[in-house]
Amino acid sequence: MTFSVKRFMAIFQKDLKDLYRNLYISSTALMPLIFAVIYSRIGEMPLAMHLFVITLSLALVGTFLQCAIIAEEKEKNTLRGLMLSPATLTEIIAGKSAVTIVITVIVTAVSMFIMDFSLSGRGWLIAGILLSLIFFIALGTWMGLITRSVVEASVYILPVMFIFGMANMFIGLADQFSFLQVLEYTPGIQLEEIANLSEAGAGFDELWKPFAIIGAWVVVTLVLTAVTFKKRMMD
Amino acid sequence: MIEVKSLEKIFGDKQALHDVSFQVKKGETFGFLGPSGSGKTTTIKILTGQMRQSSGTANVFGVPVSKLNTSEYRKRFGVVTDNSGLYARLTIYDNLKLYADLYGTSLQRIDEALESVNLDSEKKTQVAKLSKGMTQRVLLARALLHKPELLFLDEPTSALDPANSKHIHNGLKELNRQGTTIFLTTHDMEEADHLCSQVAFLNKGVVQLLDEPKQLKKQYREEIIGIELKDGRELELPLKASSAEEIQQYISREMVERIYTKEPTLGDIFVEVTGRELV
Ligand SMILES: Nc1ncnc2c1ncn2[C@@H]1O[C@H](COP(=O)(O)OP(=O)(O)OP(=O)(O)O)[C@@H](O)[C@H]1O
Ligand SMILES: [Mg+2]
Repeated sequence: MTFSVKRFMAIFQKDLKDLYRNLYISSTALMPLIFAVIYSRIGEMPLAMHLFVITLSLALVGTFLQCAIIAEEKEKNTLRGLMLSPATLTEIIAGKSAVTIVITVIVTAVSMFIMDFSLSGRGWLIAGILLSLIFFIALGTWMGLITRSVVEASVYILPVMFIFGMANMFIGLADQFSFLQVLEYTPGIQLEEIANLSEAGAGFDELWKPFAIIGAWVVVTLVLTAVTFKKRMMD
Repeated sequence: MIEVKSLEKIFGDKQALHDVSFQVKKGETFGFLGPSGSGKTTTIKILTGQMRQSSGTANVFGVPVSKLNTSEYRKRFGVVTDNSGLYARLTIYDNLKLYADLYGTSLQRIDEALESVNLDSEKKTQVAKLSKGMTQRVLLARALLHKPELLFLDEPTSALDPANSKHIHNGLKELNRQGTTIFLTTHDMEEADHLCSQVAFLNKGVVQLLDEPKQLKKQYREEIIGIELKDGRELELPLKASSAEEIQQYISREMVERIYTKEPTLGDIFVEVTGRELV
């Protein structure tokens, strides 16, 4: 399959102009920053808390924003126009993810800055965050494709936010509620695992496991997205 | 350009298309006429790959519609249906610019396309602020931006006032002259008569008649001469030698206001063929 940079850029530029005028969506991007400010006031933050805010940034911006953007394209019947144009599946998905990626990276970086959390010397964590970013964006894309409107998307996204965005907080309750154990496998917890392991000086012989788990999430959501997208090309 | 044979579409327990067959040749403006619910939009969706037929064949550009989902084929057609949308927060120009880039056409075409739908003075206007008719015109401009070989239009002028309809008709005629084949659905018989080189009557999912408008009108012409007299009476006489004397008398006594032949409209013919009004 060919990839046209020109068509990718056309969609990216369109979204950039569009988002600039969309207050509802751009204001949610500020939410993680509020958490970052609150937590940084508490004083010395444990690593787990940093990872909570980072994961929340990825989920709230990456998944929610992406989901809302895609759901709006569906609601307004503009996605069908793109599908009928020469743009291919990859160009449309990549183009539509680009703006979200940029904003997610900015918001995550700013919340790290607010929390005084440095990435230097944390190469593994950076790799983990980037891999998770693909998962969160793909999850948002898929959710946008299965919902019919922005309002519907905002409802469906809530449980997803709790599971994938706040797992790092709820996992603390796993001693009382054993069913919460499954949250162990969310990318957020795996990111924490990566941070802890690399902090302790572990090598790839131990680190491969959290990476493999996040990688599996990436594969599953990408496949779901591609399959659902193909379905949405038809009535 | 388009070959459709025994096309059928079934939605659950409802059959939208029963037996649709027709051909559209290069250079034609083909009118697909039918009342609401007759299956016009369904046919366009099948032809543009937005829906699968239940059975029968549909070829566009000589290939089955299921194979049309490549960038190369998509560049060759344009489409406006009732489920086409625009980006409401963006201006008309920005909406069209996206599509100019996607189709790889020059930005100069944006102005030309807007001119042909009479919107060249509005290009900086935000789409959210447009009326329904203006929105429809922007969609049309978007579909003809890349001068497609084949243009599918689902009721292109249904929301437009007569002046803008006329402007768009002229634009479509010009586009057709430049080589674009047009497939349009409408329930406006005058529009069909004015634009189309071929028309098909679709009724309840079946193509009941297919011909040139001129031929149809000839075929269904009533062999009658109408005479309106100055005293207000109206007479209808058979178009035969036996009427000649009577008509001559009216004329020689200077009683005649006007004389006319009864040309059926496409709408009249539709009613006669299908027994249904075109609403
Ligand atoms: N997605 C669908 N699911 C079920 N039935 C459908 C669907 N789409 C169309 N139909 C039915 O198929 C029939 C034909 O519909 P279609 O939209 O093709 O009509 P149309 O000729 O375009 O009418 P109009 O002039 O009102 O636009 C209708 O009876 C409609 O209810
Ligand atoms: Mg219709």
